[in-house]
Amino acid sequence: MFELLLSGFGAVFSLNILVLVTVGVAVGIVFGAVPGLTAVMAIALCLPLTFTMGPAAGLSLLVALYIGATSGGLISAILLKIPGTPSSIATTFDGGPMMDKGEGIKALGVGVVFSFLGTIFSIAALIFIAPWLAKVALSFGPHEYFGIAIFSLTLIATLSTGSMLKGLFAGAIGFAISTVGIAPVDAVRRFTFGIPNLNSGFDLLVVLVGVFAISEIIKVAEEVRREQKTAVGQVSMRSIKGFGFSMKEFFEQIPNAFRSALIGLGIGILPGIGGGTSNIVAYIAAKKRSKHPEKFGKGCIDGIVAPETANNAGIGGAMIPLLTLGIPGDAVTAILLGGFMIHGIQPGPMLFVSQGELVYTIFAALILASVLMLILEFWGLRIFVKLLAVPKHILLPIIMVLCVVGAFGLSSRIFDVWSIVVFGLLGYGFVKGGIPAAPFIIGFILGPMAETNFRRGLMLSDGNFMGFLTSPIAGSFLGLAALVIVWQVWGAFRDKPSKTAEILRA
Amino acid sequence: MDRANKRELVIGAAMLATGVIYLLLTANLPRKAFIDAAFVPYLLAAGMCLLGALQLIAAWRQPPREDGVAPAEAGPDYLTVGKTLGLIVGYIAVLQWLGFPIATVAYLYLQFLVLTPHDHRVSHGRYLLIALCASVFIYVVFRHGFDLLLPAGLLDFIE
Repeated sequence: MFELLLSGFGAVFSLNILVLVTVGVAVGIVFGAVPGLTAVMAIALCLPLTFTMGPAAGLSLLVALYIGATSGGLISAILLKIPGTPSSIATTFDGGPMMDKGEGIKALGVGVVFSFLGTIFSIAALIFIAPWLAKVALSFGPHEYFGIAIFSLTLIATLSTGSMLKGLFAGAIGFAISTVGIAPVDAVRRFTFGIPNLNSGFDLLVVLVGVFAISEIIKVAEEVRREQKTAVGQVSMRSIKGFGFSMKEFFEQIPNAFRSALIGLGIGILPGIGGGTSNIVAYIAAKKRSKHPEKFGKGCIDGIVAPETANNAGIGGAMIPLLTLGIPGDAVTAILLGGFMIHGIQPGPMLFVSQGELVYTIFAALILASVLMLILEFWGLRIFVKLLAVPKHILLPIIMVLCVVGAFGLSSRIFDVWSIVVFGLLGYGFVKGGIPAAPFIIGFILGPMAETNFRRGLMLSDGNFMGFLTSPIAGSFLGLAALVIVWQVWGAFRDKPSKTAEILRA
Repeated sequence: MDRANKRELVIGAAMLATGVIYLLLTANLPRKAFIDAAFVPYLLAAGMCLLGALQLIAAWRQPPREDGVAPAEAGPDYLTVGKTLGLIVGYIAVLQWLGFPIATVAYLYLQFLVLTPHDHRVSHGRYLLIALCASVFIYVVFRHGFDLLLPAGLLDFIE
């Protein structure tokens, strides 16, 4: 394992990958910091750039963007008191008051350092857990994959923010759209209406860019003309030692950080929920366990350490099911899956056998990107602050053009460009109807996996459905899926929203 | 019935309509056996119809909200949304004919104008310059840096 990791470091320290990772982290921080721009957008827009790169360089760039964007949200959470991404919602609770007290630089320093520690913790977990899980998953067949896909779909649809009915519907419609094109096993053309471009269905990148980027541009158009110039809080780096906080304060935060990292990692592994939920859960847990809970919300560093450690700890967590089972936990890992596929690589247990070196290169790129994030985000703060002031009416049309380039670059078809507009309108419809987009994307990705393995599983067991229940792993996952549904339905009747749900809906 | 309930009813109706349309489309698929290419679409269509019906029932039975959210100062600016959509559709429609560089300059310039906030001064020269620089930069980077053959259109003679 260590030899592979060392050879991974050897690969990422080549000049071109080093430059790509540095640029990726910086661009990611900008996308995380500017409210309205997201990690999904950053990766979706940069995905076409990786077409001409090798898998190691392309995937290193994508994971660098992921790390930068997850952490970048803290800049606007503290300076603008607006979370740049959902992963930094709880950071605003204490980041804003610290900024008001003149401790902005300390808040940023704490956020950056504990984001780094959270990421490193989760990468360590990923490096130790993923190969072991991949070994177990090597014995999985269609029955097991069907069980896992159904469990993941259920979890995603029911745990997403908002109403369970709408979450399930979003998952179903994503699954339905994935059925466009040639069906698995018997190769029947479905819902193509005689249009040859639809034979291969819709590309994942087209769907993601449409639902997350184009819909955001349309949404911003609703209010951008009434927008007033944003006041960006200013911080001075003069006479700042280290990262702006003392070693005593650092050591005092270790138990809080460790607990938050475990929360972030655990939530990150679960499909469907990630940094957007874990930062709030970690904040609530930190407040509950604190000796001085009354200080929360008034500007204490515990309230920054918890969400920032947790959201970044979700990165390694979300990569575990992606790399070992080929199951993306959220929209960001869904697009990373697209990145793998563009380079002809299918994530899953075989990846560790056939592309071991590439896997460890990705691990090394994650570590390098975390270190660069620590350096760039704190010491390059002044540049990122300036970028926060770029007006949206200039930024968003340019992003729209990049979306068009990305869609066209897939297979040089205008059809794909029209498709992003169609999915953009669908995404906008979701926003207006309060329907979560993440279950839609996961339904779109896991749907074909569930259907193909269902058909293959039935063929293997001569058309006997019991094969799915008699396999211990498939049966357990299907049982868990049923339990999740029962639990959620029971929860809906209880009519008592959780603290996390209340904060997310606020 | 308050506005929020009506909105939820409309969403439920849209969900149900989507399920019914998908069911009708599925019914046109050729059948070979019980478990075939139409099996999963039938399951999904049934699921979507059921979820739509449940959403309708839930919205119908929901009591009017007493804590009613105060009406927003100003509703969404659908005129700007409409103009933006129109520009995007127009941009894609002329992309191949005009070519990426020209179509992009025109789109960016017009889109900047449409999205400029009320309290900002419109600077035609600055907008044109940004549109031109962005278009040329993106075209050159992707065409020569990443070998992506973006449509050249009217500028096809330039290599």
